[in-house]
Amino acid sequence: MSKYLVFDQICFPDRQLLLAALADLGYREVEEGEALPLYGYQGDRRPETAELVVRRRHLGPASNDLGFARTEHGYVPVISEYDQRVLHGGRLLPKLRAAYSERVVAAVTRRLHGTARRTVEGGVVKIKVRF
Amino acid sequence: MPEIEFTIDAETGKLELHVKGIAGPACDDVARLAKALLGEPVQERQTAEYYLRPKVRPQVRPKGGQ
Repeated sequence: MSKYLVFDQICFPDRQLLLAALADLGYREVEEGEALPLYGYQGDRRPETAELVVRRRHLGPASNDLGFARTEHGYVPVISEYDQRVLHGGRLLPKLRAAYSERVVAAVTRRLHGTARRTVEGGVVKIKVRF
Repeated sequence: MPEIEFTIDAETGKLELHVKGIAGPACDDVARLAKALLGEPVQERQTAEYYLRPKVRPQVRPKGGQ
């Protein structure tokens, strides 16, 4: 081994890969813009804004808008406590992070002109990329 | 053959990455690519192979050659 890195934070630096990961989870309708308003489940405007928004009609009857606000390090989720608890059985963010990671692996494989071999053991996905 | 091993924990979404088979700081290029897409890692360390010098085959030109 020559280098070992661990990525554990919930921040998505690449917009296109984040959009692809959201699509992988079933959220294909994403509004894109600058400081888009976010609305709560009763149609009330929330104080936060975001650059990427999945509107609540695509989430659930009692859901609020799900946003991703751009920061200097990437996009961070703006999500209500309710939706964190309910969406994807309370596992939306871990699932989104895993989907994003898989998209990153695919992008790295392409850029290195490599070949990938994917295996799954229990809840662990291993992908070996040779280049 | 150089290889990157990605390990994704589906429960938490945590990603671990091992770059293997690249001696010397050349593997920093791979790490830079990963960081551009993933952000700064919470943990990063060089392993023994990192400190090996890449093998360079000496080239000897014949005398009088161009």
